[in-house]
Amino acid sequence: MTQVLRTEDLNKRFGGIVVSDNVNITIDRGEILGLIGPNGAGKTSLFNLISGVLRPDSGSIYLNGQAVNASPLYKRARMGIARTWQNMLLFRTMTVIENLLIAPREYAGESILRVTFGLGSVRSAERQARERALGILDRMGLADTADSMVTDLPFGQQKLIGLARTLMNDGPLLLLDEPMAGVEGAAYETMQAVVRQEAASGRAVCVVEHNVSFIRDLCSRAVFMANGRILQDGTVEELIASKALTELYFGV
Amino acid sequence: MEYLATVTILIAIYVILAASYNLVIGYGGLATVAHPIFFAIGAYVTGLLAIHAGLPPIVCVALGAVAAMVASVLLAASSLRVSGDYLLIASLGFQLGLLQLIRNLEITGGPGGLSNIPSTIVGAARTPTFLAITIGLAVVSVLGIRAIVRGPYGRAITAMRDEELAFTALGRNAMSMKIVIFAVGCGVAGMAGGVYAFYFQYVSPEQFEVLQSAQILTMVVLGGMATAYGPVVGAVLLLAIPQAITFLDLPQNVMAPLQGIIFTVLVLLFLFLRPTGIMGDSDNKPRARASEAA
Repeated sequence: MTQVLRTEDLNKRFGGIVVSDNVNITIDRGEILGLIGPNGAGKTSLFNLISGVLRPDSGSIYLNGQAVNASPLYKRARMGIARTWQNMLLFRTMTVIENLLIAPREYAGESILRVTFGLGSVRSAERQARERALGILDRMGLADTADSMVTDLPFGQQKLIGLARTLMNDGPLLLLDEPMAGVEGAAYETMQAVVRQEAASGRAVCVVEHNVSFIRDLCSRAVFMANGRILQDGTVEELIASKALTELYFGV
Repeated sequence: MEYLATVTILIAIYVILAASYNLVIGYGGLATVAHPIFFAIGAYVTGLLAIHAGLPPIVCVALGAVAAMVASVLLAASSLRVSGDYLLIASLGFQLGLLQLIRNLEITGGPGGLSNIPSTIVGAARTPTFLAITIGLAVVSVLGIRAIVRGPYGRAITAMRDEELAFTALGRNAMSMKIVIFAVGCGVAGMAGGVYAFYFQYVSPEQFEVLQSAQILTMVVLGGMATAYGPVVGAVLLLAIPQAITFLDLPQNVMAPLQGIIFTVLVLLFLFLRPTGIMGDSDNKPRARASEAA
């Protein structure tokens, strides 16, 4: 079984606005799927439906063949659906390492009883999380920022921290919402390399991105969305070659 | 000396109240005004058990705290599911409604209050014992809350307050954390109520009005929201200053309004000079908060 994610006829509307119109997508283990389309196409809404921020009006979502519709947002994260946010949503009053320490699938410090009576087990879980967090930061060349306040870092590094925090979740599915928006230079290279490594390690990755060259470099397959509908599903070359789609996207 | 001891006991009880309220509203970011009603639940349940059930005092106080905790979970679980703002309205309604009930029930003594709560400790040892108990509980409460908010649990609370959506999407159960924080804070207030009932042997509804909510809130804000020792400073200051001027030997018609004026002037002064409170960050910069939503 290599299929990690499957959505089945996902529908969601807000009043007259359809954000998801019978959306069916699949993502396989090790695959990086590009999700492109004009603003308002329903790309982020699809992420919200998959991760559990939104409930679909109808349709199903399967993670490794198991329906996750009934599970709330936090449970889906624990099942291994990890996502980033377009505007990062970092914990702004905290340091980089603290941002990451909150983020493993199981967080020992979440239970007041465990913190009070099981301090030993909390300490060892914290140690493991810290090791993992430093490892991820090191991969991104950000190990020396660990104790900085996240808001003191430049934008590109904040974007990377957003990804690093999400990578603390070692689950099978990774949803990246515009990871490259506003990112250039060294951070761009790092982002690309890390996303590639994550897929190579066996995760299913889905990237929403306007930067077509980023998509072309990373993805073998892409999906084009507009008005909540999937218009085409194919190789990136096929999508770019399609005149109808480029017209819709670029308005030329 | 007896008077000073009573004031000190009262201050210690209010330190517990302010510290637990700070946990809920300052650290937890849960907008509630109903803290005095959980103090009341603790006081009334403890008093009634002491009068009618004849249980040992510690058991009475413990059950009073449990009752406050259970009531707080019911309130939080029902209103937080709707939205965070709803808790503010629901808590106000809960406080006013329960006070009406207390005022009108026979068992609670109605508007006259609950008197004849048995004195557990008699004789010369009474005041020193209560001094030790209340100060001890105040120290334990303040340090206990400080320990909670400093460790991994506190990190989770901070993250939740910073960015709840991202926090939840990382697998953290924000709803249950809020309910737990609320329950712990209200349970501690209930415990304070139980001790209060045993010391003063008398509880009446007007001690738990919305005016009390304002007073405890002022203690927290003035001392420094979301700081470990702010509520201690706030409670001591707001209770000691009005008490201190009673030594000035002024006529009653000057004294009563003067206490109110001092209270108001303190609040206004701090509003302009040090909005983060006495123990808060001195740079007067309000805590950075994420405003964009996804």
